[in-house]
Amino acid sequence: MSPRIWFLRIVSILAYIFLWAPVIVIIVFSFSANKFGIRWEGFTLQWYYELLDNQTVWDACIRSLVIALVTVVVSTALGTLTAYGLYKLKFRGKQLLRTSILLPIVMPEVVTASALLVFFIKVTPLTLGYPTIIIAHIVFSTPLAVFVILGRMQRIDWAWEEAAMDLGATRIRAFRRVIGPVLLPGIAGAAALIFPWSFDDFVITYFVAGIGNTTLPIYIFSQLRHGSSPVVNVIGTLFVLFTSVSLLLFMLAEKKSRTTMGT
Amino acid sequence: MTVPKGHVTPAVEIKNVVKRFGAITAVDNMNLAIKEGEIFSLLGPSGCGKTTLLRMVAGFENIDNGEILIKGKVVNHIPPYKRECNLVFQQMALFPHITVFENIAFGLRERRRPQSEIKKKVTEMLEVVNLPGIENRFPHQLSGGQKQRVALARSIVLDPKVLLLDEPLAALDRKLRKEMQGELRRVQQKVGITFLYVTHDQKVALSLSDRIGIMYEGRLNQIGTPTEIYETPRTSFVASFMGSCNIFPGKAFSLNDNHIEVRDEHGLRIRAQKCKDMKVEDVHGISIHPEMIEIIPEGHNLPSENSSTNTISGQISDVFYQGDFTELKVLIKSTGQSVTVHLNRRSDNPVSIVKDQNVSIHWNSCHSNLLVG
Repeated sequence: MSPRIWFLRIVSILAYIFLWAPVIVIIVFSFSANKFGIRWEGFTLQWYYELLDNQTVWDACIRSLVIALVTVVVSTALGTLTAYGLYKLKFRGKQLLRTSILLPIVMPEVVTASALLVFFIKVTPLTLGYPTIIIAHIVFSTPLAVFVILGRMQRIDWAWEEAAMDLGATRIRAFRRVIGPVLLPGIAGAAALIFPWSFDDFVITYFVAGIGNTTLPIYIFSQLRHGSSPVVNVIGTLFVLFTSVSLLLFMLAEKKSRTTMGT
Repeated sequence: MTVPKGHVTPAVEIKNVVKRFGAITAVDNMNLAIKEGEIFSLLGPSGCGKTTLLRMVAGFENIDNGEILIKGKVVNHIPPYKRECNLVFQQMALFPHITVFENIAFGLRERRRPQSEIKKKVTEMLEVVNLPGIENRFPHQLSGGQKQRVALARSIVLDPKVLLLDEPLAALDRKLRKEMQGELRRVQQKVGITFLYVTHDQKVALSLSDRIGIMYEGRLNQIGTPTEIYETPRTSFVASFMGSCNIFPGKAFSLNDNHIEVRDEHGLRIRAQKCKDMKVEDVHGISIHPEMIEIIPEGHNLPSENSSTNTISGQISDVFYQGDFTELKVLIKSTGQSVTVHLNRRSDNPVSIVKDQNVSIHWNSCHSNLLVG
């Protein structure tokens, strides 16, 4: 093998180590007996048991899950409708709207966060809490759903919709029986992206959460402020495991749909 | 409603239909009646408006002006899902996520037919299109020809008043296209549904249709049987589109009771037989099919000159071997025009044809075709 290939190999390996090292460290330290979780002092499952007993963590976790689930359902539904409108309808300023859908994605999170905070406090009668967190999450997740689903819409054969209508289905029936199912991998993809985004979100949630609505990322942050705890490593490990499995499942589903749809 | 005796309601009627896209007029005041039970082909080059017209009949395009009737009923404002016609799409558009059975059952389910009837009809349809036993496959597991048959079955199972076909064979390779042509005819004869078939393929239209309408720039140029369209095209567009590339525009003069002579702008004189339903002054030119022209090499006896023959001397400027026939370009020296001649491989035409050879071209005036436009 030529030296050039060796060089490329080494660089790639280093790049992967760079990417994976922090994750590996967290996984390793989640099993370490050291009570700050920062050094290897022998194997233990103690922190895992402690996590099981920690009611605050569970509350935070469930809160985050509920928020993420509601966000996923509402933003994929809204995203699908918006994408359909942006793709199918003809109107002035469509291109502008379509491009501006990316704005919330590229805008710095703190800007969105402070804007939302001001909006909630000054314009709406809402008190900060569950509803504001969920609304905020929907605001930053829906553009992502629109973006992903629009991508899928560009790759499907719209003669399917006309064929369905020709065979007697109204536009809505055609969506339910053909376009919806055909878009499903895109919708699932959007959901798979939005779920961890919402579940992980710290900045925006921190701004609009108000008092007492600790989500998991906020809990972890507060734990770290009072000194590192090995329980945080355990949560991190579980996160990595959970995300990897869902990514894998998503890839399998996508692969299967590619063979049947021929796209 | 009073219907005159002997009058049969056409399957489809197009009355003064106009469709504009911005400044472009896609369909320009068209009139057409398609008879019950026939295969009617709309033939024309791409962009002539044929697909637009088909989509208007199907209900996917609004009509700017005029009326479309299906079985005597105006359908202008009826949405596609309520029209009694079905469209077979060019790319077939089979639903990828459901089986062949469910694809064919799609329309029946929308009509809320009982399961037993659906099962019976779908099975029957698969027999009609010669595909028994594939109901549990998915579209991506089918070959091109099978997809085509399923697409056909999916529409026919609903027993439409008219079946609209948008170049359904264009995506197939040549051999399969030929096979599916026969298949389409067989199915049509079996179920007796009126076909409105849109295509740009002259061969498919000629071999498949009962009648053909030639469309050009949003208008119908000529309607007729395949024989009429091919052998007696009436406009220079139809003539050239149907492969008769020798067109001589010019003024016609009466020679005698049976013959006329057309003098074209280069001074060429071509004789033709009079046509009883055409006035001499309406004739605007002549076309002649390349396969009707005979080649007589220099030195051979020329046929005797009279009012029923055309003999013109020229020189072979190009030879294109095509396999079953040979295409020659003959330059008429006196006028500088080029005439295309097709020599059949099995015909008794002269043995050696080479470039630059001096020849005469010859045909009987009864093969000269009169053009009015």
